[in-house]
Amino acid sequence: MSGSGNVGVHVDHNIQEDPEKLAEFQQKIDDGMLIEVDDWMPEAYRTGMLKMAEHHANSEIIGALPEGEWITRAPSLRRKLALTAKVQDEVGHGQMLYRVSQDLGKTRDNMLRDLITGKTKYHNVFNYPAPTWGDIAMIQWLIDGAAILNQGTLADGAFGPYVRTMKRINMEEAFHFKSGEDMVLTLMGGTMKQREMGQEAFDRWWYPSLMFFGPRDKPNAEQLPPMRWRMKTVTNDGLRQRFINRFAPAALALGLKIHVVEKDEHGMVTSKKPDENLRLNEETGNWEFTEPDWEEFFRVIRGHGPCNKQRLALRRLSYEQGHWVRNAILHGSKNLPPAA
Amino acid sequence: MQSIPDNLKPPFTDLLLAIADDKLMLGHRNSDWTGLGPILEEDIAFSSLAQDEIAHASAFYELAGELLGTSSDELAFGRTPEEYRCAAIVEVPDDFDWASAICRQFFCDEYDMLRLKRMTISNYTPLANLAGRILAEEQVHIEHSEEWVVRLGRGTHEARQRMQKAIDRLAPIALWLFEPFDGLKSLIDAGLYPGSDFDMYDTWTTRIQDILEKAELTMHVEIGEPDDKGGRRGVHTEHFEPLLNDMCEVYRIEPGVAW
Repeated sequence: MSGSGNVGVHVDHNIQEDPEKLAEFQQKIDDGMLIEVDDWMPEAYRTGMLKMAEHHANSEIIGALPEGEWITRAPSLRRKLALTAKVQDEVGHGQMLYRVSQDLGKTRDNMLRDLITGKTKYHNVFNYPAPTWGDIAMIQWLIDGAAILNQGTLADGAFGPYVRTMKRINMEEAFHFKSGEDMVLTLMGGTMKQREMGQEAFDRWWYPSLMFFGPRDKPNAEQLPPMRWRMKTVTNDGLRQRFINRFAPAALALGLKIHVVEKDEHGMVTSKKPDENLRLNEETGNWEFTEPDWEEFFRVIRGHGPCNKQRLALRRLSYEQGHWVRNAILHGSKNLPPAA
Repeated sequence: MQSIPDNLKPPFTDLLLAIADDKLMLGHRNSDWTGLGPILEEDIAFSSLAQDEIAHASAFYELAGELLGTSSDELAFGRTPEEYRCAAIVEVPDDFDWASAICRQFFCDEYDMLRLKRMTISNYTPLANLAGRILAEEQVHIEHSEEWVVRLGRGTHEARQRMQKAIDRLAPIALWLFEPFDGLKSLIDAGLYPGSDFDMYDTWTTRIQDILEKAELTMHVEIGEPDDKGGRRGVHTEHFEPLLNDMCEVYRIEPGVAW
């Protein structure tokens, strides 16, 4: 449920790429052809794609944690099954994306180690808390909805293995979104307590959803390598606008109110007021809104969000607890007879 | 048999609740590993097992619900602790130890296979049909847990030690799976749950000892006449109430409403 189109591409100017090959590479991309793992590619493209796929994979397995915490508390047999299957899907996405990354030259164990030591990052949105069942509904509706928008455009990219993985993932995300929509509808059509739970969770997740697409674009975003090489195909602001155009009216129709909020260091809302800038601009067809607090965004990215430590600690615990199991598989007796 | 005589309804629903509760709590405990498994591929596999168990539980609750005039969710989430019929082995936490999780799954899968086989020859057609459908999935579970037991038992020294420790701790608890409940004999006599618990126990221990031998692990247990009551008769371990409180946390906010 992630999508990591915001990982920067670092062009190392000390590496002199063959200009002829570079031109051919660009031509292939401009002609809409796919780049495969064994094709020639500039070093910055290989490292950039690896970074992007690895960040995406990390996000999937960290993204499994906030929702995973609620599997044991799901309030009906149907929801318990659906949530287990959903979180399982996210782990599956992580596994597929680590495979894409492995083919680009980094071992899975190195990626998992880099994740738990903080050397590599995961999506910022998972550093926010999910204190109620309402948050699980909102994550599946808003964050999976945002991921579908983002990943839909990433599936139009140029790197074959990543594009094919996006297509597979997007089919599953569509189910997650439907399940989230159903959970939100049930809450908002339910008792007073349930509607309050829904609104409070919405207040917590609306702005993280807007920040999901990354910071404001640089003015020349479309000329920079990530878009020139079709690692991503739509700007952050373009995606954010598409999201708001779809979800602002949908939220209002469900009886949700869209608030500008202030939060404490635990990510809990301390005050809120209606977003006075929220309106449909009839001329442009776009919804206008109050910008997210970008200072908060960068603070959380730098590791000072409400749940950064907690998420990484749990991931680290899981890695450490599984160490002896992986060891037993790698170094156990060879040629085991079948158990049956 | 298409309907259950009134006098057999209480033990028969106890039988259905025993299997449903076992499977729900086992699935519940296993689902807690989703996202935290030792290897991504196994994380996904173990999560599928959890989903199977919960789905099986749901089907048995439905069967019981028809006889009791209630819904599956009410049976799963709405009873008091003493009304549950699960055995101690599915109540004990695994403390995030993979050896314990595999060991628990192994004991339960082997037991479930035998219990379901008896149910497939029940003269109550809805039970026989349901058990038949589930049996195929249970076969996959057994292969999965038996392979893990052997793989870990014959893995590194540390893996073997951890597995042996888990077996020593969990085997005596697993025996409570066989606790007879009131009216069991009447179900056997009526052909609703044919077969014998003693035969089932012998088959279970033989199969487990076979696999453990391949895994170079050992189990020493002896079943006695349980003096105390256990989960089959509504008396649970100290782990059960916290488990139930966690599971029902959201349900209890507004019981009976749609979530």
